Amino acid sequence: MPIKVENLIHIYNENSPYETIALDHINVEIQDGDFVGIIGHTGSGKSTFIQHLNGLLKPKSGKIYIDDTDITDKKIKAAEIRRKVGLVFQYPEYQLFEETVYKDVAFGPKNLGLEDIEVERRVKDAIQMVGLDYEDIKDKSPFDLSGGQKRRAAIAGVIAMKPQVLILDEPTAGLDPKGHKEILQIIKNMHVKEKNTILLVSHNMGDIAELADKIIVMEKGKIVLTGTPQEVYEKADYIEKIGLGLPPAMMLMRTLKQRGKEVKTNIMTIDEAEEQIINLIRSR
Amino acid sequence: MLRDITLGQYYPGESFIHKLDPRIKILATFIYIIALFLVDTFIQYGWVLIFLGIIIAVSKVPLRFMLKGLKPLLIIIVLTFSINIFMTPGEVLYALGPLKITKEGVYQAFFMGSRLILLIIGSSVLTLTTKPINLTDGIEKLLNPFKKIGVPAHELAMMMTIALRFIPTLLEETDKIMKAQMARGADFESGNLFKRAKSLIPLLVPLFISAFRRAEELAMAMEARCYRGGENRTRMHEIAFQSKDIVAFIIVFLFLAIVLITNNL
Ligand SMILES: Nc1ncnc2c1ncn2[C@@H]1O[C@H](COP(=O)(O)OP(=O)(O)OP(=O)(O)O)[C@@H](O)[C@H]1O
Ligand SMILES: [Mg+2]
Repeated sequence: MPIKVENLIHIYNENSPYETIALDHINVEIQDGDFVGIIGHTGSGKSTFIQHLNGLLKPKSGKIYIDDTDITDKKIKAAEIRRKVGLVFQYPEYQLFEETVYKDVAFGPKNLGLEDIEVERRVKDAIQMVGLDYEDIKDKSPFDLSGGQKRRAAIAGVIAMKPQVLILDEPTAGLDPKGHKEILQIIKNMHVKEKNTILLVSHNMGDIAELADKIIVMEKGKIVLTGTPQEVYEKADYIEKIGLGLPPAMMLMRTLKQRGKEVKTNIMTIDEAEEQIINLIRSR
Repeated sequence: MLRDITLGQYYPGESFIHKLDPRIKILATFIYIIALFLVDTFIQYGWVLIFLGIIIAVSKVPLRFMLKGLKPLLIIIVLTFSINIFMTPGEVLYALGPLKITKEGVYQAFFMGSRLILLIIGSSVLTLTTKPINLTDGIEKLLNPFKKIGVPAHELAMMMTIALRFIPTLLEETDKIMKAQMARGADFESGNLFKRAKSLIPLLVPLFISAFRRAEELAMAMEARCYRGGENRTRMHEIAFQSKDIVAFIIVFLFLAIVLITNNL
């Protein structure tokens, strides 16, 4: 399901004193099975952008093609888009509302009009996929869960719809380091298992560098850089200039280089950094 | 989508009207409303229109924003108009079954319709040019003299301030939760009345939970900062009358005088 975005423009509160140009000529293409990381400052338009991808926001102008259908077309049924593109919002636990976790996770699949057996199967799969104990948790009230468990249950609610494209808006915001790592692992496992397309919005350069095979950098409503992590981090100086950090592994290599050590600086992951450091020690 | 509600929305500006003391603006609005109800000929509406036009021009708020306030009240305007046009007894101009349009009815309908529209636009001037915080400050100050007879002026104003403060937050939250549930396939727009009411559950449950949470947090934050009501409380920005407030007051009284003089009674 390739996604193609052409000249997308979105303006909030147009023609009022509060007018904000949130998206300014966005052009991008995403291939099937890509794991895309979206980074950018607060207010750079990330959330606005992803809400267009499943039709929650309509652009002022521009086109979005998913599977060659233009979803900005008014004749397209919203349900049709939502079936294909799942969206997990920032702090998704605030959308929990049912009496039991089972019912809450089943809300999405039921809205898709699936048979009860299929709903049950999906709910079970989704709850297990997010690392919760199905038998233990299915009859609990979602409001009795811990913060991290709520987050997982809410993510399960979208996963259970089995979208071909899954978008997550800062799924780890406000979690402790352990919870943070676990959520990312869940996303990674699912990407491997389901082979779906994933768009992950994050402030954390390290996460993006480890997980994504394509990066989109946004700044003031525009896409300023796109490409593989390698390609994007070639422009390390520019990324620092617009005030975004670099992945920790890369920071380390750059600092070592500054101190006159012979290391490569276009390093993204801990594994690569390890290799460089071992080489450095061996070459002594 | 939900943020498009103007009634009571502030339009930032630096005009003469914006800078007036909120107390003057509230009193002036009252006088304007009284004058509006004293009006008994169409010619006088001309005077009101000129007065209102000048005020709007001075305030530099685009007319578009003033008229926006009419939209949510359109039903009431139409209803008032229809009731007057059909229910007033008199010389029949046109009969449609049991419904009769009378000459007096047409007159009444236009008369009442104009009054209502001028009333709404006039009060929009107040809310569009005054920050909600200043508005509640003004109300508190105006109610102060009534404290002696047991009117809880400070508490009323504080309640209004908090309510006004949280309207945008709640709207934003509604918007967010609605979108999140729509992303899970919720449908808020189609179906019959019963189905629609039921479809609101996924929206209302999280909304109430978050509203209660916010209320609790706010209460705690206020307590942590030793809030204990209005007794002996001072403020950072004291509002004080200036010469332009007196000018404004004189102008409003002149307006009232013109309406009274031209009155038929
Ligand atoms: N509902 C809205 N109404 C008006 N303006 C909005 C609305 N939502 C966002 N904006 C504005 O649009 C711009 C882009 O916001 P957006 O939420 O897309 O940023 P973001 O990149 O997701 O930021 P963050 O990292 O803080 O989540 C900001 O300037 C914001 O103030
Ligand atoms: Mg955001």
